[in-house]
Amino acid sequence: MKSIKSIAKKIGRLKPVPQVSHKILEIIEDPESSMSDLSDVITYDAAVTANLLKVSNSAYFGLPGKFESAHQAIVYLGMDQVVDLVLLGSSSDNLKKAQEGYDLGEGELWKHSVSCAILAGELAEKKQAPQKHLIFTAALLKDIGKVVLSQHVAESYQKINTLVTEKGYSFREAEKKIIGIDHAELGGIIAETWKFSSRLVEIIRYHHSPQKAENCEFETSIVYLADTLCMMMGIGVGADGLAYRFHKDVLENLKISEKDIQEVIADFGEIQHKVDALLGIN
Amino acid sequence: MNIIVGVSDMKVSNDPGSVLITYSLGSCIGITIYDPVVKVGGLLHFMLPESSLDLEKAKKNPYMFADSGIPQLFKSAYKLGAKKQRMKVIVVGGSQILDQKGFFNIGKRNNMAARKMLHKNNVIISYNNVGGNSNRTVKLAINDGSLLLKISGQGEIKI
Repeated sequence: MKSIKSIAKKIGRLKPVPQVSHKILEIIEDPESSMSDLSDVITYDAAVTANLLKVSNSAYFGLPGKFESAHQAIVYLGMDQVVDLVLLGSSSDNLKKAQEGYDLGEGELWKHSVSCAILAGELAEKKQAPQKHLIFTAALLKDIGKVVLSQHVAESYQKINTLVTEKGYSFREAEKKIIGIDHAELGGIIAETWKFSSRLVEIIRYHHSPQKAENCEFETSIVYLADTLCMMMGIGVGADGLAYRFHKDVLENLKISEKDIQEVIADFGEIQHKVDALLGIN
Repeated sequence: MNIIVGVSDMKVSNDPGSVLITYSLGSCIGITIYDPVVKVGGLLHFMLPESSLDLEKAKKNPYMFADSGIPQLFKSAYKLGAKKQRMKVIVVGGSQILDQKGFFNIGKRNNMAARKMLHKNNVIISYNNVGGNSNRTVKLAINDGSLLLKISGQGEIKI
């Protein structure tokens, strides 16, 4: 078993989340803040504006070349959408790389993360969740722990796989048993290191076990459901496959029926090619 | 040449240099068909069991569902000269999350829908590799009908 400290040290090798994302996350979690605060942050940051224009002009929105300024994008797409796009643009560096331990090629974890975020955002909308951006961001970053843990998973893969295939462990339980920490727990530590809000930390930490999220079980449940659906659809799924626990009660608490799930899958199936277009950016 | 079959997608080919590939089947099902006499093969990757869920979507993209996609897969292969009685049919995918059992088990439902559809049309499945908690990638070589199946955590097998 590795010492957790030696693993946690590697967090410093991740690319830090840009300051502007922190600012945006702060603003959207602050009930006192206004739309113009957000607009200022976005329009005054050149890198963010450049990124936003690239993404909003992608085939995802079917309006190539339409947008020439951040202001235009905000007016046309709405602030909600723009915030998600900005957060998306600032998270790609760490998540785009191949993750050998999880047998994920270049771009596969990114595809999973973006798909999961979009799906979680749609579920949040359906369930009228007040904290849509929090849910979107958590779904986008929930597997950040995999980026640090990947190398350790690669080193211990045989042992982990044996526990999963022969002893009935989930992949995460096997990570914890063999390495001493699992990717969700480590993700929580990374989120803390990055000084994310306690709610964002909690959702990332418990995205496989939402019942344990004391302060935001509802939001964590939505991220959990989005992740489950992405796994079922095989989006960016690696060596861990679908070997994670299914919590029937989480879906019951969300009042989600099997028909609802099938409809969400069918809807997502229709926009999948648009998501692919979005991934080609940056 | 690799011909990629996306999610809710189907391709047929009679080009001996081509390989039909679908990546990462979770709960979705991949069905490959191959007629060795005319060397025609096809691959369908569907997501959900029944088109009654949303007929409009099924009309737009029949490959999303088992009951609307499977007939299209066979019809497209017939157009290239394939015959049902010579066809080798393989069904893979339909995985589930751990402990999913009967609940929301779309993988299982997808598999049952495929079997029902094929059985109703007197098609015998020559090989299947379904269920479990792995995701699967399938490659069908048109020159000889050989199939490579990659299963997460278990490696690659040739069929």
